[in-house]
Amino acid sequence: MDVDVGSAGKTRWLILIYQLPREPSRYRVAVWRKLKALGALYLQDGAAALPEDAVTREQLEWLQLRIREAGGEATLWEALPNTVAENRDLVEAFRGAREEGYGKVIEGVERIRRKADLGGERASLLEELARIEREFRAERRRDYFRSPLRTEAAEALRAARRVLKGNTSAVDREVAREGG
Amino acid sequence: MLWATRRGCHVDRTACVWLIRRFIDGEAVFSFFEDPAEAPEGAELFDVAGARLSHRGDDCSFETFLKNYSLEDPVLAEISEIVHDADLMDDKYGRPESDGLDAIIRGMQLVLPDDPTLTRHTDAIFDGLYTYLSREVL
Repeated sequence: MDVDVGSAGKTRWLILIYQLPREPSRYRVAVWRKLKALGALYLQDGAAALPEDAVTREQLEWLQLRIREAGGEATLWEALPNTVAENRDLVEAFRGAREEGYGKVIEGVERIRRKADLGGERASLLEELARIEREFRAERRRDYFRSPLRTEAAEALRAARRVLKGNTSAVDREVAREGG
Repeated sequence: MLWATRRGCHVDRTACVWLIRRFIDGEAVFSFFEDPAEAPEGAELFDVAGARLSHRGDDCSFETFLKNYSLEDPVLAEISEIVHDADLMDDKYGRPESDGLDAIIRGMQLVLPDDPTLTRHTDAIFDGLYTYLSREVL
């Protein structure tokens, strides 16, 4: 889902401000993991930001509830950065955070292509590709501002699938010929 | 019985509405509110923070319903995995159906005017999912 940076050049943000007891640490870890999975950016300790939409709002509301249930405190705020420059910096930070994930996808695809060139078994390469496609979808879901590497990663995946599928059908044809 | 939840239903709430109609209360009447303070008096609230039938720990509301009403149907258990993954986006069960269901219901939200209309349509989706999975499970 892509978020529009409004005409005024500012995005509406949701900021979750929270605090959890130091022990047991598992709640702190669970909250950190959930925020990371959502693609939230920590502005500082205990203050995480996401662009506002129906989905991020709902996810953060549930997280707020879980923090309270775990004995912590959490408040959820809507915010507009004070200046267009601050907004731009935040958007860039979000895009930057996704670059690493897309980079890994691209590396993974290159590894599969190399193995395919060396005659690797196609079924297992397709399985490996499906795993990387899942990673890509997870990354895409939290890529709120269309990181530049997204298109490159998507094209690499499409090309690899085309190559592997193409090879598969060539093999199938051969098997069919020999079988007949 | 009168049931009430928040407006703007997505996968978890549309699945709960279907579950209530088909498995819990054939006479169910639903009310969709903007703010919990607007909920009609005496209604059973679900998928609302603090309600009995809502998120519990790691569970989404659909899973809480299954546990609360002791619904042990294996097909419903499968649907609850799909709903969980679509709602909490944590890939807990790795169900491939979740991404598709998420996209379809998100799109239906955009083209259908309100929650009563939306849930009538999503009922058909969950009926289909239930029938399809029944063939596999049983």
